[in-house]
Amino acid sequence: MKNTFVKKGLVALISSALVTALAVTAPSAAQAATLTCTKAANKVETCTGTDDNGAKFEIRMPANFNGTLYVYSHGIRNNVNLPPIPVIAPAGSVIDYSPEVAPSLTVANALLKQGYALAGSGASAQGWSLEEGVDGAFQVLQIAQDKYPKVSRVVAWGNSLGGLTAQAFAEQYSGAIDAVLPMCIADSAQSQITMAGDFLWGLKTFFNPAIKGTGYSAGPAGYREMLGDLQQALGTLLALQAAIQADPLRPAWPATSTVPDTLKAIPVRAAILLLGLVSGISTQSKSYDASSGPAGNETTFGVVLSPALAVLENGAEAVALAILANYDMEVRAGGVVYDNSRTNFSARLGDDAQVYAAALSGSTATTGMVGYLQLLAPKVTANPAAVAKLNSMYQLQGKIEVPTFTLSAPSDHITPGGAVTYLNKQYAAAISAGTAKANMLLNVWNKPADSYSTFDASGAVTPAKTPNGVGHCNYTASQVLAVARLAAASAKSGKLPSMTTANAAIKNDANLFIDPNFEPPLLKFRQ
Amino acid sequence: MIRNTRTKRAVIASALITAGAMVLSTIPAQATETTGVTATSIKLGISSPKTGSAGLVYGKVPGAMKAYFDYINANGGVNGRKITLVSHDDKYLPRLAATQTTKLVLNDKVFAIVGALGTATHSNAYNAARLARNNVPSLFVNTGFSGFASKAKYPTAFMVLPSYAMEAKIMAKFIKDTPALAPQASFLIAQDDEFGIDGVGGFKSGGHTFAATPTLYPQGGLTSALAEGALTSLSAVPGKPILVLFGTTDTTATILKAAEKLALTNKFTFMAGSVGGDANTLLALGVKATTVDGVISASFFPDAKDATDEYVKQFMEINTKYNKGVSFDNTVLQGMNSAMLTVQALRAAGKNLTRTGLMRAIDTKGSTFASAGLAPLNYSATSRVGYNGYWIGQLNAKGELKPFGGKLTLYTTDSASAPVTASTFVRKSIPKNGIPNN
Repeated sequence: MKNTFVKKGLVALISSALVTALAVTAPSAAQAATLTCTKAANKVETCTGTDDNGAKFEIRMPANFNGTLYVYSHGIRNNVNLPPIPVIAPAGSVIDYSPEVAPSLTVANALLKQGYALAGSGASAQGWSLEEGVDGAFQVLQIAQDKYPKVSRVVAWGNSLGGLTAQAFAEQYSGAIDAVLPMCIADSAQSQITMAGDFLWGLKTFFNPAIKGTGYSAGPAGYREMLGDLQQALGTLLALQAAIQADPLRPAWPATSTVPDTLKAIPVRAAILLLGLVSGISTQSKSYDASSGPAGNETTFGVVLSPALAVLENGAEAVALAILANYDMEVRAGGVVYDNSRTNFSARLGDDAQVYAAALSGSTATTGMVGYLQLLAPKVTANPAAVAKLNSMYQLQGKIEVPTFTLSAPSDHITPGGAVTYLNKQYAAAISAGTAKANMLLNVWNKPADSYSTFDASGAVTPAKTPNGVGHCNYTASQVLAVARLAAASAKSGKLPSMTTANAAIKNDANLFIDPNFEPPLLKFRQ
Repeated sequence: MIRNTRTKRAVIASALITAGAMVLSTIPAQATETTGVTATSIKLGISSPKTGSAGLVYGKVPGAMKAYFDYINANGGVNGRKITLVSHDDKYLPRLAATQTTKLVLNDKVFAIVGALGTATHSNAYNAARLARNNVPSLFVNTGFSGFASKAKYPTAFMVLPSYAMEAKIMAKFIKDTPALAPQASFLIAQDDEFGIDGVGGFKSGGHTFAATPTLYPQGGLTSALAEGALTSLSAVPGKPILVLFGTTDTTATILKAAEKLALTNKFTFMAGSVGGDANTLLALGVKATTVDGVISASFFPDAKDATDEYVKQFMEINTKYNKGVSFDNTVLQGMNSAMLTVQALRAAGKNLTRTGLMRAIDTKGSTFASAGLAPLNYSATSRVGYNGYWIGQLNAKGELKPFGGKLTLYTTDSASAPVTASTFVRKSIPKNGIPNN
């Protein structure tokens, strides 16, 4: 009886979501651009409209304009409507096409006050909308320049996918831009979906084969499958969380797992950590720093438990991204784009097998889990045509001709610092090939405090606000402003600041640093 | 999608900007060969556990190293340069070790890493801090993991401890050659990681067969209950079985205390590897002195309580003056010895100190350095192996390790298939006042 109600409830949830989804009207292509401007009491003129492709845009022009315009590209957004789903979308969500002009209101207001103009496009499509994002940024720039001839310098910037969009925009239209600031820059679609997809596939393989993960059907059926996956994945994560709460040292595997009993004899926390390590999910999360533990138990907690708990916490977001982004990419590309048919899981784990030996419950357990993934679990093979279509989107070349600043956190669990490492390598190759100018790229890094987990008297971790330096695109307004001002100055001078100037700009921030010898590992797809 | 007029405008603008491009170089300076070195100073760094459970055992290492460097500084330094040691606590946690080592290289700008401790910690730190890419020497790594001798994988690392594989081979030889032990059934309880695997491989290479498949446990995973279960099961084996414990000292303590609880301390001959056989720590963790008495273990050093040894005597004096309030033990001995090796390496590299020059100096002259170790050092152009031998001893109730049978016999071997042989190696005398003159 109870099960029936649960099933009914789920069907109702999905049906209502579907109705909502079908009721949404996406922007239509090839509309004529519109422009409406109003001036607020603070003397900032705000212009809104839609561009040639129907993307909404916004421009804010302060009365004390200093000649520099920032063009902002936002991060990835859901390309489908979602019904209320606990944790993932508690209030439900509809596709958001609104433009953003800065990563936060505080940042926007600070820049406007200093005389900078801001612009941003909502992009004509969401999901992995790199091409639409570049086009939207280009169009809003042109509209702003037409409206405000006093725009003499342009900084392209963005967060996450928007960071990749800004960089792609600059590489393709460098003549239109004077400086670039990709923040928490994403790697390519294939690289990102490999990271998130690996974790999702592992979740399915180890813990819940009911998760579909890839190969969604066309049309409404595929949408229902995707929603079903969100529910299944969430249920699996909650089951894992409950198991760890019940017995942190030897948590049991979820009831939905179908792995052999020999694997189930391994504490499930080790399997969670293994999935994080082979996927490249950070072992530092909002609550768990992998560097501290309850008083008197620091070493055991830090060595054995903390990395797995961090992966589980990070994994919740990685899984949601995997399902939503993968669904979007499959729809865009017309087939399966995730592929692990040639993945060497032992190589993926690499030295982490010895680094995390204790947390992985020893070499024997590790060998067993890796062997299961490698030899026994069914793999996913992508549709070559779909992958080709996905990769036909612009791929970063490192063709950097104007001062470019990256702001990134090595422990970002969605867009790890390795994406910047890739950009650096592409840039070095482009310099060698004569297609980029030397001395035009400066990396600013954001790291968390050495240890930030806090524990109560019982030894339980105490919930806290996401510490700076971990989480996705988690920067303070002052950090963003410090780097944004460097970019604006470079847009004016045409060159990077000296190290003295750059370090002076961030000297009051304990977590930001600049060092050309710092190099986070590439995402697993690129290793 | 893009209107042609706008594209043209962008291309034209691009050409204009290209024409006016700035040519001044503002790229940040790369790490140099002499980072951390001035005309008057050499800055070194260490990441090791100073707090947490591992800090209880190894927390004295950085203080001991600093004490020796202070002593050298008080006596003129190295080629007129004073040594400073920046020490960060990594709590024996891989993530924190990576953070701290990166900090040493990038923030503290040290010339070299010295005495890093632990396999999981330093292998993570080595990669995260890009020591190879930045050509930062990692001198005298305090772990027996044979992998650190791989010049291909860790091109700037130098081992100092004999490998776990060597130790296991030598233990196997000792069991075979000792009439009281050879006929007894033997069992291995080992940590299930590269430490234990090195050990299991070493026993196999040494031709030793255990009476049962080795019991492997993840680090920190051997509880009192598991230890009691294992001992109860093995107590049915006739005779006086040998129980080889190839893990950390806390695990050795767990097993010995389980034996005490089950009144089985006399049932077994306990043979602890050098990592798990530190008597001071065993006693500090609550193992009874009567239980420690008789435990067989291995060492490549003189016993830290043996004040008749010239190195121990000198290091004790330095410890008293420059490491006030810290009791002298095996850990302090090890720290000071690594510091003494470091000073000789710095001297051998000459006045024009560079990172590459330092590593070359150890490759070419490191095997001739004076040290407290009773086994030879094996540095060469093709080897990053430190000591390669052990002697087997027996702990007494005071926690002193005395040569088994009253006569110290040093065995040497390698981490692979070379035989274990009794060595005639005689170490160099300590330089006058413990101040290197190489």
